Amino acid sequence: MTVEVSSLKELVEQASGDDRSPDTQEYFVNMGPQHPSTHGVLRLVLKLDGERVLRCIPVLGYIHRSIEKISEHMNYMNCVHLTDRMDYLSSIMNNWAVSKAVEEAAGIEVNSRIQYIRTIFAELERIQSHQLWWGVLGMDLGAFTPFLYGIRDREVLNDVMEETVGARLTMNYVLPGGLMADIHPNFVHRVKEFIKYFRPKLDEYDDLLTNNVIIQERLRNVGILSPQTAVQYGATGPVLRGSGVAFDLRKDHPYGVYDQADFEVPVGTIGDSWDRYWVRVEEMRQSLNIVEQLLDNIPPGDFLVKKLNSKIKIPEGRYYSQLETARGVLGVFIASDKKDEPYRLHYRSPNFNNLWCLEPMIKGDYIASLIGAMSSLDLVIPDIDR
Amino acid sequence: MATTTPVPTETECPPIDFGELKSNCVAPRPSIMGQKRGLRSILWLSFKGIVRGLLTTLSYFRRPSTVVTQQYPENRDTLEMFERYRGRLSLIHNEEGEHGCTACQICERLCPNASIIITKDKKNEATGKPALDQFIWRQDTCTFCNICVLVCPFDTLEMTGDFESSVFDRRLLVFNLNEYAGPTAGQLDKLEDDELAKAQMKPMNKYQGPVPMCGGEMDGIPKLDVEKPTDA
Repeated sequence: MTVEVSSLKELVEQASGDDRSPDTQEYFVNMGPQHPSTHGVLRLVLKLDGERVLRCIPVLGYIHRSIEKISEHMNYMNCVHLTDRMDYLSSIMNNWAVSKAVEEAAGIEVNSRIQYIRTIFAELERIQSHQLWWGVLGMDLGAFTPFLYGIRDREVLNDVMEETVGARLTMNYVLPGGLMADIHPNFVHRVKEFIKYFRPKLDEYDDLLTNNVIIQERLRNVGILSPQTAVQYGATGPVLRGSGVAFDLRKDHPYGVYDQADFEVPVGTIGDSWDRYWVRVEEMRQSLNIVEQLLDNIPPGDFLVKKLNSKIKIPEGRYYSQLETARGVLGVFIASDKKDEPYRLHYRSPNFNNLWCLEPMIKGDYIASLIGAMSSLDLVIPDIDR
Repeated sequence: MATTTPVPTETECPPIDFGELKSNCVAPRPSIMGQKRGLRSILWLSFKGIVRGLLTTLSYFRRPSTVVTQQYPENRDTLEMFERYRGRLSLIHNEEGEHGCTACQICERLCPNASIIITKDKKNEATGKPALDQFIWRQDTCTFCNICVLVCPFDTLEMTGDFESSVFDRRLLVFNLNEYAGPTAGQLDKLEDDELAKAQMKPMNKYQGPVPMCGGEMDGIPKLDVEKPTDA
């Protein structure tokens, strides 16, 4: 297998060479890095024919902080807090991914209380991530109201998590070998209150956006991603499931205590933006179900099985572990040389692969559809560059 | 009409066999126009969808108490942060103004981004043990990861709920946490002579001492007036 690597200059020169139409002039436009609907510093070089997108070349690297390289000089406990800054909307799941990889490699067994709390927090985090996505999708498509509604409910959930964790965005709660703190005494009660509060709000979401014919028509048959292309490009998470491929690590390779919860995986049919929209809204309902089932059964036990300032050493070798974040599969690869620092730490981040699906999705469609399609991908740019 | 409208090409790829699906799946909800419906039905459903959305927004005018607005900074006096909130780091001082830091430097070693710098007096005259000289915290590089608080063997550090830390000069974000340079509360108690114990506690300013960047003179930047920090 050969991989061709081409620079942006070559791509642009190549694309500007084949101007096929006799009466219109094709031209290039930079979308980003400061475009509001790219949700960060993502630059898209668009080749346009009028308003139609002929090519869409993502240009990365505007928020590269070399998290992987910095991690090579840190012990495993310290590596965790950098993952908060990758996909900041699923920070606890990122923490968990690293901790899971380290625990599997170093052979640390965690008790079931830790697993329960981790799973509950991961699902709460998934809900708040989708709440923000839902609001931002409305705002990208020109409806400002949903943003305020999404943020309002996310605020309630953030408060619940803040009481236990102490932070709202960069949580750094899960450590290799346990948790940073036990759950707050109010936690179970307040999560129950939240579930009671949020279930009716999901119907409100439906009234505001889902049943609105304008939103439906902006999303339906736009940005179609066939299951073949999705698998080829390595898309995961709601993007892959929206294309009709039922692959969810929580079901297929259960980790945590997902095997003890009864839930369903929403799967789309044709893979347009509407399917991805629907998959995420339904995932919020399913996450609520999971949390509700697990909440009453948290077993007693310690919240930390390993002493904090003891060095965790991993035997020589290569280790890989993965789990499902709000945006897809986050894989953690550790190459160890018997020290307490990784020789190499690599993250297979879900957004990086999901981003490249943009071009096959949007080729030949309008710029306005590009905004909606990109919003339905739910990209977090710091996770792409790391 | 434009002469050439590029058609999206399906990538040439043999159909993939996804095998047995382990997940029990939910099928998606159909959209209004996605179904084969009559024009009248489509118009009615579209109208209903838009009106219900508008009514949802309007209903909040009727019950404004359900709308959440944080009245910050008006509620500054009554605002209470959660007990575990990770704001400004602080060294715990007891009622007599004594801290418990033995300058063991575990927090300095485990800080992921070198935000803690500890200088110590290797042998205190009175106690004969190492004593803390300066506990410097760099708030400008701190990521509030909470590890220093967790690893401290003497529980002398805590994260306070103080989150308003904006300043006009970033040199002000590097400062000493200890209020005096000297031995810990426990070591001071062991000294029988109260006067001797008092003498060991050399008072420490927030911006005192050779703190990097901390108000000191730099190339082209005059010395900062440390007597008047920004918060007034």
